[in-house]
Amino acid sequence: MVLTADILGMLAFTLVAFWGVASWALVRTMRQESRKIELLEGQDRIDTYSPTALAELREWIQNNPDDPLVDDARRRHNECVETLEGTDRRFYDWSDEEVERLERI
Amino acid sequence: MADAKTARAEWGTRFGFLMAMIGAMVGAGNIWRFPYVMGNNGGGAFVLAFLTLLFVLAVPGLMAEVALGRYTKKGIIGAFRDVLGRGGLVGLGVIVLLVNVALMSYYSPLIGWTLYYAVHSLLFTFTAPGFEAQTFLDSFFANPALLIGLHTVVMASVAGVLLLGIRRGVERLVVYAVPALVIALAIMTVRGLTLPGASEGIAFAFDVQWEFLLQGSTWIAALGQALFSTGLGWGIGLTVGSYLREYDDVPLGGGVFTAIGESSIAILAALAIFPVVFAVGVEPDAGAGLAFVSLVQVFPEIPLGGLVAILFFLGFFLATFTSGVVITEVSVTTLSEETGLSRTQTVLGVCGAIWLLGIPSAYSPAILDYLDFVFGNWGLPLATLAIIGVIGWVLGPERLRLLAVNRNAGVHVGKWWDPVIKYVIPSVMIFIMAYYAWEDFGSAEMIGGMLVIVLLPIVGYGVMSVLEGRGGDPGTTDVTGGDD
Repeated sequence: MVLTADILGMLAFTLVAFWGVASWALVRTMRQESRKIELLEGQDRIDTYSPTALAELREWIQNNPDDPLVDDARRRHNECVETLEGTDRRFYDWSDEEVERLERI
Repeated sequence: MADAKTARAEWGTRFGFLMAMIGAMVGAGNIWRFPYVMGNNGGGAFVLAFLTLLFVLAVPGLMAEVALGRYTKKGIIGAFRDVLGRGGLVGLGVIVLLVNVALMSYYSPLIGWTLYYAVHSLLFTFTAPGFEAQTFLDSFFANPALLIGLHTVVMASVAGVLLLGIRRGVERLVVYAVPALVIALAIMTVRGLTLPGASEGIAFAFDVQWEFLLQGSTWIAALGQALFSTGLGWGIGLTVGSYLREYDDVPLGGGVFTAIGESSIAILAALAIFPVVFAVGVEPDAGAGLAFVSLVQVFPEIPLGGLVAILFFLGFFLATFTSGVVITEVSVTTLSEETGLSRTQTVLGVCGAIWLLGIPSAYSPAILDYLDFVFGNWGLPLATLAIIGVIGWVLGPERLRLLAVNRNAGVHVGKWWDPVIKYVIPSVMIFIMAYYAWEDFGSAEMIGGMLVIVLLPIVGYGVMSVLEGRGGDPGTTDVTGGDD
């Protein structure tokens, strides 16, 4: 059977959709790992939340003050804020202005 | 032991965690089932349906399972107790445990089959003059002593790896075995694609028959593959995730890479197998018929067939063996935590119990097939429903996402994730169990499946009620009442 353009196109799409995405995820996560190790060699801790994720966590804490897990959430939030304030090099894309605006909850 | 009970073990490297996830999920189904299912359900159309379901169900589901393990840093039962509080409902974790033990009891004999064929590939049996694939398989299955002996060797080997611990045993195995599997399949792919007539195999697997996207059977097949191949909700992701280090990511590695990476190996298997099968003009098949008859008939017909056979069967053995090791680790981790026994004692106890329970499946491939059908169609979805149900309806997906999934994450997971975990995945699991019950209504398999669905929760609830004191103080829980 002759391999038609449809078949070759689907083969190419499949390779990109599976092997392409898996390779991207592997390379990205391994690079992030290297970055974290590099940061931890120069300081004892790194920021644990991205700006978006920390904003969501803060909003949830404020909206759920009686939740059984709110203390844990608050601890994680404040731990990230303290780390951001106490370190010069950050893992996520935090600007100095964003960090200055952060408050403990 | 390296994994002292006072200081919980952790993966030594990020790559070790990733390979543990892939090694666990890539098993026989990727190699002897996926290529045929793909080719018979519209080729490219099936790929699109499968890819869609991977991203809608498997990727978010695996993120949730790994995140729960990472958040609680406990095995199945301990994680369930953290969420549910002490009491009979922790028995939902016992369901997952029992399903894992049952799964491994019939998977170990199957690993034994792959080991037997791997050894014979090294002896160049399949390319010897006068070799008959079907006769060879029939005589193998008619030798219970050999089958039980192989099951024994497999469980002893699994125990040997697990006794070394998480880093020195499991991690050291998977960081070599998984890449070796990929390399073996890649070399076989190159060999297959350079054979005359290989294009027939590519066309069988990748021809796009769009009309299949409108057929329910295509989506059911893709759903089964997406759920069962990725091992979603079997306790594997939870257990492997419980050994993550402080700053490790969950969603990118535990979700996206695991689901898409393990499926990529299934795609590679299709590229490795069907070109050689079609080049020789052998009818494609699935299951033992593909691996142990069709392919074995192919090897003598192609140049360097003996070497290709070695690559295929060693790769096949590594795929199944790494799965077996990590599946068994699920029980070892949780029982070691719950009983207070040392890791050595737990490994020997769990592997001994699985060996004993696996003897009927080793003795008779028909029993193995029956258990595979019953637990594959009802036991494993029940386990998935237990894990995802607890996350979705007790812990609450929003809490888990904010507290664990997005913490140290390599990709941000938004609010879309919450309803997927709470509504979509549980609904799909209930649908798939009902669908299989309807399709096999009245059969011995369906009756066995219904017994599994009824008895396992009763046993789990009863055991944990007795162990944790049903009538007394239900204990405290940190997180109950979570309904987003």
